[in-house]
This record gives sequence, C-alpha cells and structure tokens, in this order.
Amino acid sequence: MAIFGSLNHMSLDDLLPFVSSRDGALEIFNLKRLPRVTLYFHSGKLQCVYLGNKPLDSLQARSVISELVAASNGSFEFIPEIRPPTCDQPLGWSIDRMLISVAATLDEYAQVVDRLPHPETVFSLTHITVPDDTRISDFWKRAYIYLQEGISAQELSEKLGMPLDHCRFYLHKLRQLGAVAPVRFEARREKPQHAGVAARLLTSLKKRFFGEDNAWSR
Amino acid sequence: MEPLKVVVAGPVGSGKSTFIRTLSETDVVDTEALASEDIGKLTTTVALDYGTIHLGDQLLYLFGTPGQDRFDFMWDVLSEGALGLLLLIRGDKPEDFVPARRLLDYLTSRRPVPFVIGVTRQDLPPVWGPEDVAPFFGVPGERVVGLNATDPQSAVTPLLRLLELITAEEMAS
Repeated sequence: MAIFGSLNHMSLDDLLPFVSSRDGALEIFNLKRLPRVTLYFHSGKLQCVYLGNKPLDSLQARSVISELVAASNGSFEFIPEIRPPTCDQPLGWSIDRMLISVAATLDEYAQVVDRLPHPETVFSLTHITVPDDTRISDFWKRAYIYLQEGISAQELSEKLGMPLDHCRFYLHKLRQLGAVAPVRFEARREKPQHAGVAARLLTSLKKRFFGEDNAWSR
Repeated sequence: MEPLKVVVAGPVGSGKSTFIRTLSETDVVDTEALASEDIGKLTTTVALDYGTIHLGDQLLYLFGTPGQDRFDFMWDVLSEGALGLLLLIRGDKPEDFVPARRLLDYLTSRRPVPFVIGVTRQDLPPVWGPEDVAPFFGVPGERVVGLNATDPQSAVTPLLRLLELITAEEMAS
C-alpha cells in the first residue's frame, strides 16, 4: 500500500493524524519556500524532523511545521519502517497537541502580523525569567545569549535558522511579556554628535519664541 | 556654519506639515498630493515637507517625512546625521500609536538619534496626554510633550525639549 499525494488536496493537519499511527517517515517535497522536509514517526509520536539532510532542533521543527500546515503546495509520500540517520534528542511530540499548538500560533500570528516589529529593530533582555509558554520559552532559551547583547529579528533569523517572520512574532510576544525591549540610542550611543550646539540653539530658540530665557517654563 | 536638521516623523495626519508650517521662517516647500487611497484626508505628503529656522548664524532645517509605511526607506535616509528626531502622534487617534511606536523603535535602535515624542491636538480634548503616552511607548516621561501644532509657542515645545535633553546629555558626558 502506498501513501502519497499533494498538499493541494490534503492538508498536513488532515494527513498527520492518519500517518502518525504508523512507524516510518513522511517526506514532503516540491515546496515553494522549503527544501525537502522529512518527519519521522515512532510509537504514534513525531520523533524527528529533517530539513534536507539536516536534523532540526525543537524550535526549528516547530517553525517548519507551521510553514507546512500553512502550505498549499507540495507533494508527500509516506515510507514505512524507515528511521532517521540520527536523532539524538527525540521530540516525542503527540500529533494532536502539536497541531493545536501550531494552529494557535498561526491564528495569533494572523492577528498581530501588522504590529510585528521592523526586522531591523534591535531588542535586548529586560529580565531573565523563562516564559511559561513552551512555544515562547523554546525561542527564549535559544535567543537568550544573543538578546543579552541586543539583536534584531533579521540577525536572529540567520543565527537560529528560522524564518524572519517567526522571529519577529516571538520578539513581539516576548515584548508583550516584558521580557525584551527595543534598545534605544542612550544605551548604544558613544558620544554626542553635536556637542555644544544644542545649548546655543536652545537659548536662541527660547528668545525667538518667548522673548526672555526664563519665559519657557513648561 | 554647517546647517543642522531635525527630522519630523509620524503617521499620516499626525500634524507634521502643520507643525513645520507653524515654525518655519521661510515658505514651506511641501509636496502635498491628492491621496490615491482612503487615508482619512484629501491630500498627503508624498516626498517631504521642508522648513527652515535661522538661529543666529545657525541654520536649522525641519524635514517632515511621509507618513505612509511604503516610504520607510526615507525615514532612515533623513535620520542619518540628524540633530534629533521629533515623532508626532495625534493624541485623539490611539489607533496610530502602534505603527508610530514601530517607527520609533526602528529608528532609535538603528541610529544614535535623540528623540522627543510630540502628542498633538492637546487643544482638542478628549486626547491622550503625554503622561499616558510615555509608558505606552516605553520611554521616559521627559521625552514626551503635548502640543498644539497650530500655535507657535506650543509647537516649539518638543523642539525645546529635544535641545534640553541633548544639552543635558552633553553635560552628563
């Protein structure tokens, strides 16, 4: 028996509950935005995700599965009994819980997409409490070392191997939780660019609009 | 003496063009055009507004940037080497606060540019006051001032505050 088809006709959230009860690998290919993705199942759980020949960590796997659930193009084929070349840290994700989590993230993302930070806005940590939400804490743990110094979504996307929009989304969520904040110029500025000029302008401007230096008191 | 520039940024309709017209000594060069989409008013700035203030031998340029997101490349270009940034927001239009905060976060984390937020329409209540706007934007209270962009003595307030903050910073360093 062969299990194959197209994501145009069968979406991933329809397909996964069906194939995950078998041990083996679901290969997904002909994707617009991703190379070949392979999902390995064992004992009814998703154990490992490969992007091309590279095994993904849990944060990257979550991002790739979000992309797959949203994808409307792509082909799939299930290969029974095959195991991953390596799987040092099995994910052990139950399919129904994972799909609910991904659906919640996609819904939330759609609601805030217009409010996400600019890709080049630099954020840094404001406190070091790990967020409770597993989706966000995975990101926080991976991004922590970079956020200590200050980093943008664009740079994080490259460092963590994640889609840019996912990094923007997680930074938005962390900001809502008060865990990160944009880095303002005060913290990064080395020395004033216009030393001495501002005081002179201030005096002139007060005289211009208020006549006396002391008239400005608001 | 080399002219200095202050960038006046903010969402569409926040009062940037009015602010510059009120403060400029010379006729303002503006590039208002009929809006091609529904932005809540008939015309909008499509390139930039430009006004001048002479203070002794120092010339100060006021550059107003277009409010629409698709002109965001100009925010960056204009902010380079600027004396400071004035971000204007309408106090009676809280729906503009999130995109304005996004603009502020972007510019202030990319460039070492001093800034002040000006909350316009303080003469037309109900409006958000500076003391409520500051925590929303995550900035210290002294960086937010209220103003009426049509009144010269009120419109100059954010510019004075900007210069005060720069002066204080210079003294501290």
